[in-house]
Amino acid sequence: MQKVSSLSELGFADDVHRALFRPIHQAAPPSPTSRRTKISVIGAGNVGMAIAQTILTQDLTDELALVDAKPDKLRGEMLDLQHAAAFLPRTRILASTDYDVTADSDLCIITAGARQIPGETRIDLLQRNLTLFKEIVPPLARHSPSALLLVVSNPVDVLTYIAWKLSGFPPNRVIGSGTNLDSSRFRFLLADHLEVNAQDVQAYMVGEHGDSSVALWSSISVGGVPVLGQLASDDNKAAVVMEQGVLERIRKAVVDSAYEVIRLKGYTSWAIGYSVASLARSLLRDQHRIHPISLLAAGFYGIPSDRKVFLSLPAQLGRSGVLTVANVHLTDEEAARLRHSAATLWELQQKLDV
Amino acid sequence: MVAGGCSYFDIANMARKSSSLLGLANGVSHQLFHPVPDSAPPYPAKRHTKISVVGAGNVGMAIAQTILTQHLVDELALVDRKADMLRGEMLDLQHAAAFLPHTRILSSTELDVTAGSDICIITAGVRQMPGETRLNLFQRNLVLFKQIVPPVARHSPDALLLVVSNPVDVLAYIAWKLSGFPSNRVIGSGTNLDSSRLRFQLAQRLQVNAQDVQAYMVGEHGDGSIALWSSISVGGVPICLGHLANGKKTAEAAEELEEIRKSVVDGAYEVIYLKGYTSWAIGYSVADLVRSLVRDLHRVHPVSLLAKGSYGIPEDREVFLSLPAKLGSSGVLGVANLELTEEEENRLRSSADTLWQMQQQLDLKVKS
Repeated sequence: MQKVSSLSELGFADDVHRALFRPIHQAAPPSPTSRRTKISVIGAGNVGMAIAQTILTQDLTDELALVDAKPDKLRGEMLDLQHAAAFLPRTRILASTDYDVTADSDLCIITAGARQIPGETRIDLLQRNLTLFKEIVPPLARHSPSALLLVVSNPVDVLTYIAWKLSGFPPNRVIGSGTNLDSSRFRFLLADHLEVNAQDVQAYMVGEHGDSSVALWSSISVGGVPVLGQLASDDNKAAVVMEQGVLERIRKAVVDSAYEVIRLKGYTSWAIGYSVASLARSLLRDQHRIHPISLLAAGFYGIPSDRKVFLSLPAQLGRSGVLTVANVHLTDEEAARLRHSAATLWELQQKLDV
Repeated sequence: MVAGGCSYFDIANMARKSSSLLGLANGVSHQLFHPVPDSAPPYPAKRHTKISVVGAGNVGMAIAQTILTQHLVDELALVDRKADMLRGEMLDLQHAAAFLPHTRILSSTELDVTAGSDICIITAGVRQMPGETRLNLFQRNLVLFKQIVPPVARHSPDALLLVVSNPVDVLAYIAWKLSGFPSNRVIGSGTNLDSSRLRFQLAQRLQVNAQDVQAYMVGEHGDGSIALWSSISVGGVPICLGHLANGKKTAEAAEELEEIRKSVVDGAYEVIYLKGYTSWAIGYSVADLVRSLVRDLHRVHPVSLLAKGSYGIPEDREVFLSLPAKLGSSGVLGVANLELTEEEENRLRSSADTLWQMQQQLDLKVKS
């Protein structure tokens, strides 16, 4: 079976083109300075492809490049997306095992990495991914020296730190998907019980993505109304106290829900796809929206400035990456948990040969 | 076991027995919001779209996810035999809820979860093996359809049935027979995707947007599909590639066109060979059909429908083949009356004959 990838191999299309279309008189050649948005996705597995597909459906980019180590799988995924051309806006879809296909990207999304095995903590994945990142990040950075880097692979906080070190990029241009999805799951749970739309629930989980993430209870508001504040002001002390016992169970349930999906279907894909597409939109369209994402947290909430760790905090995102970090209120306990995470990650990072 | 959009993990159920999970929900809602004076109680929404997808494999989930992303549904029900995988897929979609409109997502291994659907999409079936023709899949899917279609029809007697499983034309016929539905309410995804692949190929070379290329593949989805070279337009300009000359002999041109058609057909096999299955393109293709159906768009799509009486196909040939048809909320509104060449009509009739003969050989044992 000879693969026909373009009609030029078949010869007649030039004739048809000339018959159908004519340039206007004295037209200039196309301007070389036209600006097309380009996103590269590294890793064409379940997560990478869910991200790619959601980005395409939401018309977030003019050009999409896919990179993976497995050439057949990669080509198959590229063709499957291209075959939807009649139903999608005109996005150019490229794929290669070579990083030169990512050149001049506005945003590079790294999903490459080993899949989290049921029962395996995210930290256990680390060593398996470090070697991989040493192959990925330097060429990526070289081919797109002005790009934004968005790390999705787990454990995301440490891998974002590694990507930052290996790329040589300024820290505002390197972020991790972090607790953006955890917060989504959190908001879903709250919204479901309060019978409101999840988009009207504001609630952040911050810190380390995974087992020790921190739920910011004081940050929860529904339709603009702070929930705990409302209860306290109504002198409903009993209700406030009763919550304390269930709060930790809710947070744990949010964390466990990821493991549950992995246990049931083998991996997660759709939710992280939406989550990352949402980040891509805020970044590339300079939305200045606030998302909890993994960023260089040194100097915040008592984390020492020399502790170069990445943790999730609510941050304002735009075309140049992280614009600012939102000054959310943390209780003493919440700040302490954050510092504890920072210390743990810092010790872990010391052991790595980055 | 029905898992609904309202309680998605055990801890919630546990806590609900005493108070609510948060200890907040009973009464906190009222503390956060208050109604305007003299409000009437809420009445049921006039338009609530429910779509069921039977089969939560790669194709079913790509369809489900695309339908969700394109805001085409209020309630989505997923059905599959594999309970764990199904629940995992449902949870994964629900976790994206913060980024989606308020859509209710249900799942069950039992078909009663599909009750009250506007559209039931059947993707259940075995995956096409590399090298296996679509027709070879048939026997493996027939038994499955006998289990699926009658309950689906019973639970949603007014629904539209959209069959995606392969071989789609014969399975759409089977679904029609097993459901007892009128023929306008049963369609197969047919050559909607093949046409997209054709339009992609033409668009690439002509440097136009694929959406500006109008080109239909019709007839049998797969190896025997027919490219309507006589009915192509680009940017609104009709062109007849079958008569293209410009220095090339007609026979040579015909050969080239056949190569294009074959490469479109082979495109599916190539993706299956490379990644093991196809998913994204069929997901977009079916979502495109769903949009026309739920929003009553009256758009024309090449879909598999009861083709007898069209284009000279005899009335006694009860077969489903793809033809361009106007689609809306009551299903197939009408089949387009295109000017086909004699050769194209002959090919359609020949496909109808082949399918009809094969259907005769099958033990349908349709219970009415």
